[in-house]
Amino acid sequence: MRTARNIGYILGLPALLVLVWWVSTLGSVNFFVPKPADLVETFGEVWFGERFFSDVLPSLGRLVVGVAVAILIGVVGGVLIGSVRWLRALLEPTLEFFRAIPPPVLVPVLMLLMGITDSMKVMVIISGCVWPVLLNTIEGVRAVDPVLSDSAHTYGISGWARVRYLVLPSASPQIMAGVRQSLSLGLILMVISEMFASSSGLGFTIVQFQRSFAIPEMWSGIVVLGLLGVAMSFIFQWAERNILRWYHGQKEVENAA
Amino acid sequence: MQPDATQANTEATLSVRGLKKVYQTDGGDVEAVRNLTFDLRAGELACLVGPSGSGKTTLLKCISGLMAPTEGEVLLDGKRVTGPPKKMAVVFQEYGRSLFPWMRVRDNVELPLKNQGVPKGERDRLVDNALEAVGLSHVPRSYPWQLSGGMQQRVAIARAIAYQPEVLLMDEPFAAVDAQTRADLEDLIRVVWKKLGVTVLFVTHDIDESVYLGERVIILSSSPTVIQEDIQIDLPADRDQLNTRSLPRFTELRHHVYEQIQLAKKGHRPAAATSGGAGTE
Repeated sequence: MRTARNIGYILGLPALLVLVWWVSTLGSVNFFVPKPADLVETFGEVWFGERFFSDVLPSLGRLVVGVAVAILIGVVGGVLIGSVRWLRALLEPTLEFFRAIPPPVLVPVLMLLMGITDSMKVMVIISGCVWPVLLNTIEGVRAVDPVLSDSAHTYGISGWARVRYLVLPSASPQIMAGVRQSLSLGLILMVISEMFASSSGLGFTIVQFQRSFAIPEMWSGIVVLGLLGVAMSFIFQWAERNILRWYHGQKEVENAA
Repeated sequence: MQPDATQANTEATLSVRGLKKVYQTDGGDVEAVRNLTFDLRAGELACLVGPSGSGKTTLLKCISGLMAPTEGEVLLDGKRVTGPPKKMAVVFQEYGRSLFPWMRVRDNVELPLKNQGVPKGERDRLVDNALEAVGLSHVPRSYPWQLSGGMQQRVAIARAIAYQPEVLLMDEPFAAVDAQTRADLEDLIRVVWKKLGVTVLFVTHDIDESVYLGERVIILSSSPTVIQEDIQIDLPADRDQLNTRSLPRFTELRHHVYEQIQLAKKGHRPAAATSGGAGTE
C-alpha cells in the first residue's frame, strides 16, 4: 500500500505532464515539437541500438570516472587542507581563484593541451566537480566538534585513526552535500565536453541531431539526459540515506525535543 | 582537616605542582589559574569544588594533557604530562558531544581499545564488563542519541572504565542531567570507584555532590585560582543518598564547604597562597 502510494507520488506529475503535452499537440503540425507517441518510437529506435554502446556508455563511463576522481581528490585534499592550518592559509586564496573559473572555458584550453581525447573530457569533468567536494570537505573538517576532538585526543586516537573514526564521519554530512552538487555539475560538464570537436557521446549526438534537423531524435537525447539525472539522483539519495543514517536520526531526535 | 601537601609525594599517583595558566587574548592576558599544588594518592576519590569561573575546566585540561600549563607541571606516576597520557581517561560534561554519534553504543566503548590494538577477545570482555558495570548491557546496538542524557553519560563512563585508566578525570559530568539521574550516577561512581580501585578526580560546582562523593574535597578560590582549602571527608565508606545526606556530619561538612565557597566568592584568599604560595618556585 505504502509503496503503491510512493510510486504514485513519483509518477503522478510526469504522467500529468505527458498528458498535457499529448493534448496540446493533438492537432499540431509543428515540425519542431514532436508528439509523445512519435518521441517514444524515436527514443526506442535511436537509443536501444548501436548508439547505446557507441555514445551512451562512453559518456557514462567518462562521467563516472570524472566524478569519482573528483570526489577522491576533493575528500583527500579537503581533509589535508582542513586539518593543516598553514596549508589552508597558503592555498585558500588560490583555490578561490581556480574555483571562480567556469569549467567550460577550460574545454578549449585542455583541448590544446591534451588533444581531443577521453582524458581531456574526463579532465573537464574533474576540474568542475572537484570544487564543491573540496570546499565542503574543508568546512566539514574544520567544524569537527572541539569536545569530540578532545575526547578522541584523551583516548589516544590520532593520525590516521583520527581521520577515519572522527574527521571523515564528522565531515560526512558536508561532504555529501558537496557530492550532490558535483553530480549535477558533472552531467552538465559531460555534455559540454562533448559539444566541441567531438565524434561521439551524448552531447555530440544531440548537437548532431539538431544540426541535421532530426528534431524528434534531438528531443529524445534530451530525455535521455533527464533520465540519467533522475537515476543519478536516486542512487545518490540511496547512498546518502545509508551513509548518513546516524545524522538524520540525530537531527530527528533533536527536532522532536 | 589538615592539607596534606607536606606529605612526601612519592606515593602520589597524580601530582600537580605550582600550576599556573595564563590565557593570552587580544584584550590582554587573563590569569585563569595562579598557583595550584596538590597530590592525589593512588585509589583516592577527590572532588574539586569551586565557584563558577574558578578555572576548574582549565585545570582539568592541563591535568589531562590537552593544554600546556604556563608554569608548573603535572606528574603522573612521577612522569611529566605533556600530552594525553595513556593511563588517564576523561569524562566530559557535554555527554552529547563526547560520544561518536555515528557509532553504536558498543562501538563507542570499544573504539579506544581497538585503537590501542587490544585483541578482540580481551576487548569484548572489557566492553561487556564496562557496559554491565554502568547498567547498559541491554542497549549495545543503540546509537547514543537514541538514549536519554543520563544513559549517554553512562556510556561515556563505560568507555572510560573499559579503557582501564589509573586516573579517571571527570569534568562536571552530571551538571547537565536531571536531579534524580544525578543521584543514580553519583552512586554509580562510588560503586565503580570501589570496585576498580581507580584514582578519581571529580570536578563539580555542586557542594552537596562534592561532600557526598569525595573522600576528600579540594576547594578552589575564585579566579585567579589557588587552593582555598583541602579537607578530608570523614563520612562512612558506604554511602547512600538517604542516610548519608541526613547524617549530622554530612551537614557539618556541607556547611563548612559552603562557607568556604562563599568566602572564595567574596575574594577571600588563604594566607598561605597570597604570601608563601607564590614564592615557592
